[in-house]
Amino acid sequence: MWEVLQHAGWVTTLATSRGLYGLVLVVHYFALFLSIGTIVLLDLRILGIADRNQGLSAFAGQLRPWTWIGFGAAVVSGFLLFATEAGDFAAVTPFRVKMLIIVLAVLSAIAMEWRVPKWDRAPVIPVTARLLALLSIVLWLGAVLAAVEIAPLTGLG
Amino acid sequence: MHDAVLAGCRWLESTPWGITIRASSWMYPVILWFHFLGLSLWLGTSLTVDLRLMGVGERRLTAAELSNGLFAWSWIGFGVAFVGGFLLFSSEATTYVSNTPFNLKLAVATPLALMWHVVVQEKTRTWTRTGQTSAFGKWAGVIEFVLWISVVTASVGFLLTNAVTHP
Repeated sequence: MWEVLQHAGWVTTLATSRGLYGLVLVVHYFALFLSIGTIVLLDLRILGIADRNQGLSAFAGQLRPWTWIGFGAAVVSGFLLFATEAGDFAAVTPFRVKMLIIVLAVLSAIAMEWRVPKWDRAPVIPVTARLLALLSIVLWLGAVLAAVEIAPLTGLG
Repeated sequence: MHDAVLAGCRWLESTPWGITIRASSWMYPVILWFHFLGLSLWLGTSLTVDLRLMGVGERRLTAAELSNGLFAWSWIGFGVAFVGGFLLFSSEATTYVSNTPFNLKLAVATPLALMWHVVVQEKTRTWTRTGQTSAFGKWAGVIEFVLWISVVTASVGFLLTNAVTHP
């Protein structure tokens, strides 16, 4: 299935054009820095070590669009980059690990976003919230580590 | 000038950290990881303030509140990205400076973006004093956003044309 994607006309066009490929890579990096940066800021705010002057809901609300727009752009651009070597990427462990960690990290982010209004009404931010925020940081650190290790471990990307 | 730069690069490559990183099979990607983590914090904070100045997105907090509240983590991110970038550069400095996109990134795009960031940081309160962001403030946000896109673009240009491929 992935081999078919890799050899589709539009994918080979992307893979052989340095300009197009570079443009997609710029979108991918820029979007993931914005997305991971803002979600980790929310984690740090929940842990009580970032911007305690602002209410949790207001802080989360201000960052939310950029977390998810950035994530969407990173997924679309990431899929395009994946497509250029789809068969190879799909077969290697570091890439699979990266995808698994991202799925877990996104689930933790959704769980946090969903609970933020409740945590904001509590007199102190509950321990479960702090644990989830800590888990979210660890998962995003893991996702980026898995990403940078793909090239040295597999020669792909 | 060119000779002095090359001499400086050779010196960096001969430093204990330059030698160690170049000889290691695992340090380069790990330092790259740090560089990316720092950049995430730096760009996550800076772009959030820029977008707020532009007036797009939510208006739960003002640009000045964001700029103040994110200040510490913003510069922690910058510090991590800078130290990481410096170490990566030290390992292959002479090869890096022979690459045009890299030189554009290091000598033009990043200094400009950084200086403009400091201007935005110092002036955000003034631009938003009336509760409305002044036209100048809005454009200042657009300019910083575009400058950081140019930094990332130069970095990707470097990535795609760099002679050295790491283990």
